Amino acid sequence: MTHIPLTLTVNGRPYDLLIEPHWTLLHVLRAEIGLPGSKANCLEAECGACTVLLDGKAVNSCILLAALCRGRSIITIEGLGDPEHLHPLQAAFVKHGAVQCGYCIPGMILTAKSFLDEHSERTPSREEIREAISGTLCRCTGYQKIIDAIVAFAAAHPEEQGPAHAP
Amino acid sequence: MRPNQNVVAGQRLPRLDGAVKATGRFVYGADFALPGTLYGKVLRSTLPHARLKRICASRALALPGVRAVIASADVPAARYGNAIKDQTVFATDIVRFIGHPLAAVAADTLEIAEHALAAIEVELEPLPPLYDPEAALAPGALLLHPGWQSYTALPVIARDGNVAGRSRMRHGDVDAAFAEAYRVYEHRFTTALQHAGYTEPRAASATWDSTGVLTVWSNGQLPFEVQATLSDILQLQPSRIRVVVPGVGGGFGGKLRIGVEHFAALLARASGRPVKMVTTSEEELTAAHPRQAAIITLKTGVTRDGRILAREGRVIVDCGAYSGSGPGVGAVALQCLYGPYRTPHYRLESLAVYTNKVPAGSFRAPSGPMANFAVESQMDMIARDLGIDPLEIRLRNVVQEGDLGPAGEVLRDVSIEECLRRAADAIGWHDRMTTPGRGKGLACSWWMTTGGSSGVFIKLNPDGSVGLTSGAVELGTGALTGAAQVLAEELAIDLEDVRIAMVDTQHVPYDYGAQGSRTAFSVGNACRAAAANLRAQLFALVAARYGLPAEDMRLHQKCVVAGDKRIPLSEIASQQYTGGGLIAHGTTLNPPSAYDAGRVENHPLPVWNTPSFHAHAADLSVDGETGEVTIHRYVVAQDVGYAINPTYVEGQIEGGVSQGLGQALSEEIVYQDGRVLNANLTDYKMPTSLDMPPVESILVEHASAAGPYGAKGVGEPPCIEPPATVANAIAAATGLWVQSLPITAEKILLGLRGESAA
Repeated sequence: MTHIPLTLTVNGRPYDLLIEPHWTLLHVLRAEIGLPGSKANCLEAECGACTVLLDGKAVNSCILLAALCRGRSIITIEGLGDPEHLHPLQAAFVKHGAVQCGYCIPGMILTAKSFLDEHSERTPSREEIREAISGTLCRCTGYQKIIDAIVAFAAAHPEEQGPAHAP
Repeated sequence: MRPNQNVVAGQRLPRLDGAVKATGRFVYGADFALPGTLYGKVLRSTLPHARLKRICASRALALPGVRAVIASADVPAARYGNAIKDQTVFATDIVRFIGHPLAAVAADTLEIAEHALAAIEVELEPLPPLYDPEAALAPGALLLHPGWQSYTALPVIARDGNVAGRSRMRHGDVDAAFAEAYRVYEHRFTTALQHAGYTEPRAASATWDSTGVLTVWSNGQLPFEVQATLSDILQLQPSRIRVVVPGVGGGFGGKLRIGVEHFAALLARASGRPVKMVTTSEEELTAAHPRQAAIITLKTGVTRDGRILAREGRVIVDCGAYSGSGPGVGAVALQCLYGPYRTPHYRLESLAVYTNKVPAGSFRAPSGPMANFAVESQMDMIARDLGIDPLEIRLRNVVQEGDLGPAGEVLRDVSIEECLRRAADAIGWHDRMTTPGRGKGLACSWWMTTGGSSGVFIKLNPDGSVGLTSGAVELGTGALTGAAQVLAEELAIDLEDVRIAMVDTQHVPYDYGAQGSRTAFSVGNACRAAAANLRAQLFALVAARYGLPAEDMRLHQKCVVAGDKRIPLSEIASQQYTGGGLIAHGTTLNPPSAYDAGRVENHPLPVWNTPSFHAHAADLSVDGETGEVTIHRYVVAQDVGYAINPTYVEGQIEGGVSQGLGQALSEEIVYQDGRVLNANLTDYKMPTSLDMPPVESILVEHASAAGPYGAKGVGEPPCIEPPATVANAIAAATGLWVQSLPITAEKILLGLRGESAA
C-alpha cells in the first residue's frame, strides 16, 4: 500500500506521519497517534462519538480523510484537560452526573465546546444547547444532565471558553 | 441503621470513574488491543432460511495477510445457549436468519479481513422461511429446529417444536369470574424489535498462552456467563478461560449474552495470534441481541365500579432463530401481565417462539414494557368505557401491603399507591385542560430486584485506601460507585478512598452479573458484609495492641475510635502490611420469597425478589395534521427504597425514560422478507436531545428489608411504563388508542383518519 506523508498538529503537538490515503482522521488519531479518547461507533457520521475539533470546529472524524487535515490543528478530548486538571466543562459534566457509560462523552464535550466557542459573545439558551448537541447520540442519560452541565458551565464560565490547551 | 448518619451513602457524590471518562482516558473494550493483534470479521448469511451446501475458504486463505479462516468444520461440534443450548458458533447444515454466522476470518488488517470475506465461496439452497410467530404456532407449521428434542435445556423450560419456552401462572376460576363480570374486555397489542442502543459496539480481544489458557478482554455484562459459554463452545474447563472486562460503553441487557468473544477466541487459536473483533452498526442491528417483538392478547373482566375480577393473558415473544433469552423473557412478562393489581382469578401464558429472524436477547426490563403497554392501555380503555377516572380505577385495584402476588407470595414494602398519587400530582392530573390535541396519561407497574449471589474482597491499603474487588461490571449506571458509597459509609472513609478493581474472572469472586437492577443492591450488601468482617479484624488488632475492649470500638473519620484513642486505619494497615495486609470477604444472596408452586408452571423466575413500584405520567400534544407527538413534561415517581446516590438514580430514570420513549414512538428494527431495512443509526431512530422532554424524577423511599439501607433495584423500571404512558396520553388527546408499538406519526394519522387502527 502506498503511504503518503501527513503533517498535522494534535493537541498543540506537531506530528509527521506516513499514512494510507484512505485512512480516516479517527483511525489516525486512535491507531497511529495513540489517542483513543475519540470514540469509534457507527463510523458513518450518525452518532457523533468520534467528534473532534478541527481548527476549533466540531467534525465527525470517522468520515474525514486524514489526508485532508494536512497542516491543520486538531483538538481531541485528551487536549482539553486531564483527570487531575479537568477543563471546567469536563468538571461540569462530572459534577452534574452527565457521565454514565461515558462513551459518547468525549464527542459530546467537544461538540458543546465548539458550539459555545462559536457563540462566545453571549450565553446560549438551554434550548439552543439542546439543539446544538442533537447530532450526538447518548443512550444512557436521556441528555438532561448533559444539558444541565453545559448550561451550568456556560453560565458560570463565560470567560473560560477560550481555546483548549495542550496537556 | 446507618452507622455514620449518611455521610457518604445517600449523597450526590460524583462517580469514581467520572473524571477519567470525561477526559477520554477510560479504556473501553473497543479501545483495547494486544500487541501484534490480528483483526477478525464474520461472514454472515444473506438468506433467512437455507441449507448450507458448501463453504470453501481456500481462496480467502490464499490472500496475503489472511492468517486464519474458520467455519463450522473447524470448531468443536458443540451447542451453547442460556436456557436452551440450541446455538452453534457457525451454521452447520441449516442457515436460520440473515446475519447467521457462516465463517470468520483473522487478518493483519481490518480491510484485508473484509476483502477475505468476499473470497469465501458459499453455496446456499433456499428453504421456505417462517417469519410470523403466530404462524409458527399453527398445527403443521414448518419446524425450524427439527432436532429440538436433542438440545439440552434447563429442566424448568417447557418446549415443543417451534415453542422454545412456555410458562404459565394461574389461580382461581377465570371462566366463572368472566361469567359473573359486569363487562369483559379483550384486546390485542403488538410491539416491535428494539435494539439496546449501547454506544460502544460489542468488542473482544483474545489470546492463548503457552499453557493453553485463553484470556479474553470482553465488554460483556456477564463475565462469568461469557466464561461458561466459552467453556461450552471450546469444550474447555472454565478455569482455563480468563475473562477480563476493561470498560463497558453501555449494555442495557444487550450485552448479556455472548457477543464476539467466541469468534475472537477461535480465530486466535487457529492463527496462533491475538485477535480483536468489533461489531459494526449493521451487525448490531441485524445480528445482536435486541428486545423481542411481542404479541399480547389480554382479556379482563371487571365489576361495574371497575374492580378487576379476572384476567386471561397471553404473550408471544418472537425469539428469532435461536432461543437467546426468549424463554425467560416470555416468562417474566407474566408478572407484568398480572400487574400491580389485585386480581382474584387469572390465567396467564407466555410462549417464546422460533422464527427466521435475529435471535433476541434481554434489553432492560426485558418484557416489562410490552406487557405493561397492554395492561395499562387496557386499564385506560376500561376506565373510559366505565366513565371512571384513570387514576381512580388504578387506585381501586392496586395491591396493598401484605397482599399476595401472582405466585402467591406475600408482597412487602408496597408503595404503588404513593407512586401513583405523587406522579399524578406532579403532572397536574386534576387540572387537565380540555384543549383538543393535548392530553395527559398515566401508567404504573412493578418490577423485580433480581437475586443471585455477589461476593466482594476488600483490602485495606497502607495509605488508608480500600480496594474493592468484585465480579460485577460497571456498565455506566454508577452502580459500583453506589456500592463503593455503601462500603465507604460502613468503613467511615471517603468515597474517593475506594479503588474499584477491574473484573478478571481468574481472581474476582463470583457475581451473578450486571443485570436485573441488582448491582448496587447486591454488591452493596456484599460490601456491608465485608466491611463488618474488616471492622471485626481491625477492632481485634487494636484490642490486642492497646488492651481495650473491642466491643466499645467504632470507626469514625478514617480511624478506629477506642476510648480516647483514635488510631488511623492507614496506621493499622501499615503495621499489618508485612503480614499480608488486611483483607475481608463478604457475600450476599437475596433468596426468593416463599411462594405457591401450584400457581406457577415452567417459570424460571416464579417469584420476584424485593419488588419495586413506580408510576409515570406524561403531558403531550398530538399534531392533528402530521400525527407528530410532542411531549411537554414527563414525570416518574419510582420507589427506589433508598437512594444511595440520588444523582445517578435520577440518571437511571432519565435514561430509562429515553429508551422507553424510543420504544414508544420511534424505535423498530424493521423486517421485510427476513431482511432488516434500517440497519444504520439514521434509519433506526433512537431519541436525540431534541426528542427528549424534561423528565422529573420523584424518588420515593419506601425502604426494603433486604437492600443496603433499604435500597430496591433501580435500573430497569424506568423503561417499563413509557410506551403505555404515552399511548394513554395520546388517547386522552385524540381519543385514539394505537395498539401497536412504535406509535409513529403515520399510525396516529392513519388512525385519526379512520383508515387503520394500526
